[in-house]
Amino acid sequence: MVSGARVRRMAGLYGEYWRINVLTSLEYRANFLLWAAFTVVYHGSAVAALYIMLREFPSMNGWTFRDMAFLYGLWMVAHALHNTFFSNVDGIPERIHEGDFDRVLIRPVDALFQIIATPGQLFPDELILALLYFAFATAYSGVRVDAAFVLLVPLVVIGGALIDLGINLTIATLGFWFIKVDALRWLVLQLEQEFTRYPVAIYSRGVRLLLTFVVPFAFMNYFPAAYFLHKGDNLFSLPPAIGLLTPVIGIVLVLLAYAFWRAGLGRYQGVGH
Amino acid sequence: MTVGRRRFRWEPYAEFAKRAIAREATYRFDVFTELASVAIRIYLLRTVWVALYAHNAEPRGLPLHAIVTYSAVALLMGLILDRDQTRALYDRLHDGSIATDFMKPISVPLSFFADGTGEVLFHALLVVPALCLALLFVHIDVPPATVFAVFVVSFFLGYCVGFLLNFILNCTAFWTFENSAVQLIVTWLTDLLGGQLVPLVFFPAALAGIVDVLPFAAMFSTPLLIYVGIIGPDRYLEVMGFQLVWIVVLATIATLMWQAGVKRVVVQGG
Repeated sequence: MVSGARVRRMAGLYGEYWRINVLTSLEYRANFLLWAAFTVVYHGSAVAALYIMLREFPSMNGWTFRDMAFLYGLWMVAHALHNTFFSNVDGIPERIHEGDFDRVLIRPVDALFQIIATPGQLFPDELILALLYFAFATAYSGVRVDAAFVLLVPLVVIGGALIDLGINLTIATLGFWFIKVDALRWLVLQLEQEFTRYPVAIYSRGVRLLLTFVVPFAFMNYFPAAYFLHKGDNLFSLPPAIGLLTPVIGIVLVLLAYAFWRAGLGRYQGVGH
Repeated sequence: MTVGRRRFRWEPYAEFAKRAIAREATYRFDVFTELASVAIRIYLLRTVWVALYAHNAEPRGLPLHAIVTYSAVALLMGLILDRDQTRALYDRLHDGSIATDFMKPISVPLSFFADGTGEVLFHALLVVPALCLALLFVHIDVPPATVFAVFVVSFFLGYCVGFLLNFILNCTAFWTFENSAVQLIVTWLTDLLGGQLVPLVFFPAALAGIVDVLPFAAMFSTPLLIYVGIIGPDRYLEVMGFQLVWIVVLATIATLMWQAGVKRVVVQGG
């Protein structure tokens, strides 16, 4: 059982982790600014492409650019949240491969926690940008901002980040069995970043099923956005409120991924370095 | 050291190119990933354009089959144009092994060109299976032979523009330690401003005026618009002349940077 003292110790370590992260990234100022510029270009070019497309073609299955700006915003915040707090998970297969992972196992702190809280050179610039963009997109889309919205949106984006984490942790855990999982991760990331830009209703049945039930990226932004924007084109004739299931799905997915991770860790014997 | 005037021998460079092909072919798994990624993106582009055309008025001169052809050809061109052929230059500058390259009896820039050509040739071969995959999802229009020939020439000019851009970016490693962020920024900008994501003809007029004269348009947009016939025979000379202008400008910059950079290496190593 996790005791109070242990939780306090982990929280202290985690606070230290963020202090080092921010200090290191500010140390290399030019590099930090260039990476921040890249974050702007990465998301900016996606939104710009949507804008130009929907200027010529004002409606995509009944979604306007304003709606899709909001759709992108929901995904962006959830994804940035995941990238900011859990991006180290992606590096696990490489650490296993290089034998560096064994070092994690001999320390008296939970292995996954150590991985997540290993200082890199991380500054929450993407998260800050995502929050600013989301505020703008919310106002621009004209979505009704009431008490329910303010209460539900944080839950939805946290749930979305957990969905991202669950899927990435599952892929990383495969690294215990397979040497190269980068390719798989890259393909799934591509699926995520490109297929979440559009209303899921435009896809064929198989792809909808995939995005809803197998890699449930549709719950990161499509279902919640359809709920908040009162879009009628919900898939599989499910009630609109399904969009509020995101936090539940996120938690379940992370728990499943964690169980898988424990199983992988249990049978891990090192790569023979 | 006696450096007499040696007769130029091309064999070493052919060998560099062959080695590069063999190296790329080793990563068999990456090839499958690349093809899977092509399939995913072809499916996506078809779905997106079909959805847009189903609910809106058709734009001037670009029926659905033309835009699908445009996007599919853009994707296949990307297999070749998105390669960073001179990355080896950056890597060797970074770890310092460039110093030993200068001691070899070869022309260093040419060796990078040969290596890059080999890498690109291998990925050009991938266009064949990628095209077969694409044809499972979409129909790709084939233009008349003369138009296709002009497209090939313009594509080659676009390739040269891309090669020089990459070379210039990799040359910055003579001065900076880290430029991966800059490279990624340029890659992303090329996708958007080259017209790979959305044809430049859809850009707002004010913006289109600017992006049309940038080198990114000379890489992707010009050959693509020739392919789908938006740029007609009356404008061939004009647009390809423009591509040539970019090649001359970028080649000049690349040469100057290379010469200045090489001096720095000598100073550091001396």
